[in-house]
Amino acid sequence: MKLLNNNIFICLLVMTAGLIFALPATASPEAPTMGAPLFDVISQLKGLRVDTSNAGLTVKVAPGELLPISVKLANFGGGKRVDVLVTYLIVTSAGEEIYSTTETVAVETTASFVKTIQVPFGTAPGIYTARTSIVYQGQVVPATTQFPFTVERKIFGLFQSEFYLYGGIMLLVATFAGIISRLWIRRRRITRFMPVDYSDIPHDKRVFYELISDTVMGMRGQVGESALDIAKQINGLVIDEKTGRVLKLTEKPSKVIAELVSGYEKALGKKVSFSFRGS
Amino acid sequence: MVKKSASLSAGLEIYYNKYYVSMMEKQKTILVVEDEKSLREAIVDILRLKKFLPLEAKNGIEGVELALATHPDLILLDIVMPEMDGMTALKKIRQDAWGEKVPVIILTNLSATSEQLVEDVVTHKPMHYLIKSDWKLHDVVKKIETILETQSTL
Repeated sequence: MKLLNNNIFICLLVMTAGLIFALPATASPEAPTMGAPLFDVISQLKGLRVDTSNAGLTVKVAPGELLPISVKLANFGGGKRVDVLVTYLIVTSAGEEIYSTTETVAVETTASFVKTIQVPFGTAPGIYTARTSIVYQGQVVPATTQFPFTVERKIFGLFQSEFYLYGGIMLLVATFAGIISRLWIRRRRITRFMPVDYSDIPHDKRVFYELISDTVMGMRGQVGESALDIAKQINGLVIDEKTGRVLKLTEKPSKVIAELVSGYEKALGKKVSFSFRGS
Repeated sequence: MVKKSASLSAGLEIYYNKYYVSMMEKQKTILVVEDEKSLREAIVDILRLKKFLPLEAKNGIEGVELALATHPDLILLDIVMPEMDGMTALKKIRQDAWGEKVPVIILTNLSATSEQLVEDVVTHKPMHYLIKSDWKLHDVVKKIETILETQSTL
């Protein structure tokens, strides 16, 4: 513990998109294996110690957008101020550097801040590495951490892949909804205009029931619900208010039909054609 | 055609009879009973165009005579006509054994607002009671085709 107190202990944590990355101290800046802590280098030379680790998460940004990097520096060296030069790099998967910036941070005990670096506008889509390294006086081994992130173009505020994914889902949902509504309307139309069965009515009267029922339905198809209203007002005709089914004929059927046809002609200005079933 | 083939061998006779029947089946006869010349001719024209064999009658009397003499496959009948109206003609046709079942389409401007007319229509059962102003000729021909197709499948 005494030894540790005498040492400068700097912990560099990088948090991206709200998640904390403990920066690994690397002997070389080569790409680290993601997941487990990469390095735990303890050096007692000149009383210096650096610990870092990497959480191994990937983030996604669009060209021109800001990439937030949360940085935490901890000095366990007993309150002695250390000026740390922090370097931020963006490199391609081939190792080519496309962005670089540096800043100096004075650390006495701890320093936490969020650094935002702008991904260049012309950056081609692909996987890149955000690399952060620190340099301070008396440093024995370099300390570097990095994490991969993806650069992807945006369409209407959505990343290209998300746009296609959500667009595909929306298209599927819309198509499904369209099919369902079409089927529903079709079923409604079929059931609404399906000829009513009057097999329970005696044969000699059935033809009148069918004729009236089909005429009301035909007119309902042409002028809507007013066809039912007109039919309801015909003397001697009792119909179901919702379906238009003829329930009872209390007057002479031919008189009812003539009045119904006449009613439609007067109210709607339409002459009525009709057909007999089986035609 | 049948008579002509009678002098031929039995095989040829069968062939001619089949040909005759086939021709008759292909070209259905439609009797158009309509007093309004322009409309009658328009209907006849469109029926010819549709490969039907149209027959024309300009009133009920001619219509009944022609119907009973030629036994058309379907009758297109107007109601308001001189000399004999369509409903009377239909009654007479229905009294005949053949005419009892022949499909009839009434094509008229007369609305079925009279009790007697409705009674007659229901009694003599045309396949359709169509108001002229509501129907295009092509749609009437479609109805004719549908009826004849349905009858040929029975």
